[in-house]
Formats: sequence, structure tokens, C-alpha cells
Amino acid sequence: MIADPLSQLVMLGSSGMLLTALIVLWRKGIPAYVTAYRWQSWLLAAITATVGYYGHDPQLYWVAAVLLALKGIAIPALLATMQRRFGAEREATPYVNTETSLAIAGALVLFAYVIARPWMTITTLPTRQGLPLALALLFVSLLIVVSRKKAMTQVIGFLMLENAIALLAAVGTYGVPLLVEFGVFLDALMGFLVMQIFVYHIHETFDTIDVEELTRLRH
Amino acid sequence: MTTSLFFLLIPPAIAAVLAILVRPYTRLVGWVSVVCAAISFAASVALGAAVVNAGVPDDLVALSALWRVDALSALLAVCIAFVTLLASALGPGLDAAGEAPAQSRQFRIFMNAFAFTMLVAVTIQNVALMWVAIEATTITSAMVIPLTRTKASVEASWKYILICSVGIALAFAGTVLAYFDFVATAGEVPGALNWTVLRESARLLHPQLLQTAFAFILIGYGTKAGLAPMHTWLPDAHSEAPSPISAMMSGVLLAVALYAIARWKAVVDAAVNPWFTNSLLLGFGLLSVTIGAFSLVIQRHYKRMLAYSSVEHMGLVAIGLALGPLGTFAALLHVVNHAVAKSMSFLLAGRILHRYDTTEIGRVTGLLRVMPWTGSLFAVGILALVGLPPFGLFVSEFLLIRAAILAGRFWVAGVVLVLLLTVFASLITHLNRMLYGEMPSGVEIGETRSWPVVALALSVGLLIVLGVTLPQPISMLISQSVRGVIR
Repeated sequence: MIADPLSQLVMLGSSGMLLTALIVLWRKGIPAYVTAYRWQSWLLAAITATVGYYGHDPQLYWVAAVLLALKGIAIPALLATMQRRFGAEREATPYVNTETSLAIAGALVLFAYVIARPWMTITTLPTRQGLPLALALLFVSLLIVVSRKKAMTQVIGFLMLENAIALLAAVGTYGVPLLVEFGVFLDALMGFLVMQIFVYHIHETFDTIDVEELTRLRH
Repeated sequence: MTTSLFFLLIPPAIAAVLAILVRPYTRLVGWVSVVCAAISFAASVALGAAVVNAGVPDDLVALSALWRVDALSALLAVCIAFVTLLASALGPGLDAAGEAPAQSRQFRIFMNAFAFTMLVAVTIQNVALMWVAIEATTITSAMVIPLTRTKASVEASWKYILICSVGIALAFAGTVLAYFDFVATAGEVPGALNWTVLRESARLLHPQLLQTAFAFILIGYGTKAGLAPMHTWLPDAHSEAPSPISAMMSGVLLAVALYAIARWKAVVDAAVNPWFTNSLLLGFGLLSVTIGAFSLVIQRHYKRMLAYSSVEHMGLVAIGLALGPLGTFAALLHVVNHAVAKSMSFLLAGRILHRYDTTEIGRVTGLLRVMPWTGSLFAVGILALVGLPPFGLFVSEFLLIRAAILAGRFWVAGVVLVLLLTVFASLITHLNRMLYGEMPSGVEIGETRSWPVVALALSVGLLIVLGVTLPQPISMLISQSVRGVIR
């Protein structure tokens, strides 16, 4: 393998992003999840800027800046506010316990490498090593959403899913066109704000943010 | 062309902004939003007429342009604008006595924003921006579900926003994968995400990667379209939302998601043997019709009954899209018919709920005597939804089964027929229980606010026209749409 700095930095950053998602599966306290998400977003912004620097694409600096402001600072700050209100609730008994979750996550990472194998042959980008990691992050984020019970954890899983797709776009295509990028940012922000409102609704109506309580509607 | 597009998109945007700016809410805002919806509807009809007359659907707007309206876009735009007009005219915030101003304001803001995002989704040409618009429909419609906050509506809105956001995110992953393939093959070209460009160059792309991308896209948009097994949010959201929003979500939003699938199917079919996309759509479609049909049998709530009926009908549309040109024709006609019949039924269900104050089928009795007009129209709506003649859905379901037989897929035709009979039997049973029987004590008798009934009677007329004659302009618009997505 060529020891190209871009390739190595992308590998390092993407692995770090995957690790932060695994932390969510491993830990039980919501404050740890917020920290993990903040780190993940900073890494994503750093990867985007790195790709922009080595790929001579100044547009990506703008994308990285917005990523940092939105997902690295603003959303984690809002999450921290929520966590101060609901943070005492822990993921004590998730649908899938910690050990099994981590084992499934390992299998998902392998699965991501299997799926992404053919992609590696069609591109010569130095960043292509990040593709399977982005896909793995996508699968692990999905696992977080479906296996955890607290509304806040599910929101964080969804936010990590968005990060996974942003990583996929950065390493696979050096970013989607700027107009699309900003449309996606707008959706991400609005979507998060609405989810946040709904988490407050759930807490006001059910006195907990445990979605296991949401069982009125059946059949 | 551009003028019509302008008058299609701008009025709902203006109405939404106006509802945001005017505080406290006044009835004038509501009426302005009805007028805006009417302008938008007129513009959509003008667009449809322009597309039919121009004859060459692909060249109406330049290939590199941001917007592109072909027959399929125009068809969807007409449906969206029609249902929006109906929802706007029958929605809260127009009467002196009625809902709280804060609720009316919230409804008017998000209903118009919702309509705007759907119209953008079907007229924009860039597939990634189409995704942005469809994701925005989730956000805007979710905000109206808990208009009256109850445990049930909070639960429904949470399931809706979470499941649909996650699902739709997968569709974006699929979009990014297809773009990755394009960039890896052809390099960065401006307009690479434009549908026409993607479709022209699809032959050069890698089939295996496009298949993975399509799987993501189908699961993603399929979640939003209510295809089983990703439909779990749908009965909750559609039954808990205020009725005008249910009408829009069930009548046209599901169709917008299927529109996105049809667009991507056209791209992938240019590179991969259509057998691949057809089998997937057929699988999801049959599963949806099956789950929809059997959930209808055990249903105890009439709004959820209408919601499961949507799962069933979207399944039928998905099956149609998988059956070649004839099937696609039937599917698109079914989209039109379903939009009219389902929006009408949901709006009537809203009137029933308002009077009886319950969503349970068992507690709504003697409907024909309590509200003679609403009851009869509701019966007509259900009869149309089960596919009886002379209503439009009979024709589209007939064409669908005929397409299956002509395509040599006899077992599909057989299974669909059996399931349609199941739906027929269960819906008619539920309907009978509601229409007849003792009137519950304490329920006011007679119609109030009767002009909405007149508006909805027009929907019935439309369904009969669609069923008896299938007007030339509509059939031309649909055949051109079919030619647009199938080669």
C-alpha cells in the first residue's frame, strides 16, 4: 500500500468515527453519547477539510466549516441542554444487551467490508479506504437506533447515521455539489429541531423519554 | 411553462410565510391560503395541458436546468395541488367559531409548507435536491400531527419522524452511491445528479454498484411510501394526524415517494436488466397488499382502517410499476384515483370523528341517520376504495390485473385478486356496522357546516368520471408519463 498522507489520515479519521459509534453501544449514560457525537462530528469536519486540502477543492473548506459549526458545536450544545434535563435516565436495559450489541456491530463491520469490496476496484481515489468504514458506521448507527430505548439515544443514532452518509460523500466523491450539501444541512438542522421538540413532548406527556412507554397504538 | 411553474410553487410558499408573519392568527390568513391553493391548482392544470399539447415531454425545460416538468411531474403536481386545495378549503381556521387560533396558525403554516415541499419534490430535476425536498415533507408534515397533543398523537409523531427520517437517510445513501459511481466513471460533471443526465449515462455505470444503490433507495423511499415491512409508522401517523393532513399524507405524499422510486427505477433499468428492479418492487408490493388486506380484517378504528387501505393501495401501485408499460399505466392511473378517493374518505372521517368523538368503528352506529350526507358520501368513498364500478379504482385495478396476466404473471394476478376480495369483504363489513344500527344517545343529529359536503360530492363526481370515461387529457398525460420512465 502506498503511504500517502491523505489515505492514512482518512483511514485514521474514519476509524475514529466508527469508534465513537461503538462507544454509544458500549456505554449506558447519555452524557457519554453526547460527547461521542461531538467527537465524531469534529472528526468528520477534519476529514472533510483534509480531503479538501489534498484534493485541491476549496469548496470543501466551506462544507467543513458548516459541519463544524452545525454538527460539531450547535447540535451538541442543544443535545447537552436536553441531556441536563433527561440525562439521569440511563440505557439500563436496551432491547439488545451490550455484549450482543458489540458482537453484532463487529459482524456489521465485516459485512460492510464485504459489500464495499467491489467499490474499491472501480475507483482510484486515495480516500477509497474510507468507503467500507463509512458503510460500517452507517450500519452501526442503524443498530443504535433500533436497539436502544431512550428517545435521546435514538436521536443520536440518527445523527450518527447522517454523519456516516456525509463521510461516504466526502471519501467517495469528494463531496456532493454545494447546493445539495446546503440543502442537506438545512434538512438536518430542521429535522433535529423537530425531533428535539418531540422528545420534549414525549417527556411532558409520558414523564420519561423511554420509548417503551409508547404502546398506545397497536394494530 | 416557467410562468405556470412559478404559479404552481410560489402561492403555497407565500401562504406559509403569511401564516408565520401574521400573529395572532386571523381568518383572512386561512382564506388567503385557500386562494393560494386554488391558484396553485390552476397552474398545475395549465402545466399538465402544456405538457400534453407540446407532445415532446423531454424537451420542455433544458436538460441542465434546475427544474424539469415532464408528464409524470405534471401528473403528480395536479394530484398534489388538488388534494391541497381540498385540505385547505376544509381545514381548520376558516370559521368564526372553531379551533383555537394557535392551532389554526400552526396548521396553516405547516400545511402550506408541506404542500410546497411536495410540489418541489416532483418538479425539481436534480435527484439529490429531490431527496432534500422529500425529507422536508417529513419535517413539515410531522409538525402538524400533534396539533392536539394526546399520548397517542405524541407517540404517532415520534414514530413517524424517527422511522421516516432514518428510512429516507438510507435513500440519500443510495443517491450518494449512485453519484459515487458516476464520479468514479465520468469524473465531476456539472449536472451529474440531474435525472436526465444520470439516465443517459447509466449504461456506462457499474451494474453491481447501481443494484446496491437501488436497494438503499427502494428501502429508503419505500419506508416513506408505506411499503411493508417498513410501513409500521403509517397507520399511527395517518390516523392521529388532523384529517386534512391525513388526506394529504395518504392521498399524495405516499405517491410522491413512489414517484421517486419510479424515477430511480428508470435510471437503474438503463444499466441493469429490469428483472432486478421488477422483482424487488413485486416482492415489496405483494407483501404490502397482503399485510394491508389482513390488517383490514382485524381493524377496529375507522381512521386506521383507511390508513391500512393506503398500505394496500401503495402495494398495488408498486406491483403495477413492476409490470412493464401496461402495469405502469395502471399504477399511475391508480395513483390519481387513490388520491381522489382517499383524500375524500379521510376528510369525511374527520367529520365523523368530530361528531361522534370516537375513532372506534364499534361506537359509530346509525351514521346514515345521524349524518345522512356525510354517511352516504363515506359509503361511496369506501365502495370506491374496494374497487367497485363505476368508480375509477375499478378501472385501474382491472387494468393492473390485466397487465399481470398479459405479462404472463398469472400467480401475481391470482394472489392480488384473492387479496382484493379479502379487502372487499372486510371493508364492507366495517362499513355496514357504521352506517346502520341504533343511534348512540347524546349525538347531535343532522348536518352542520354543510358546504364541505358539496365540495366532497365533487370528488365523487370526479371518481365516477374517471371510472366511466377516463378523460382523454388524463389518459394522454399518463401514457406520456409511461413513455417517460419506460423505454
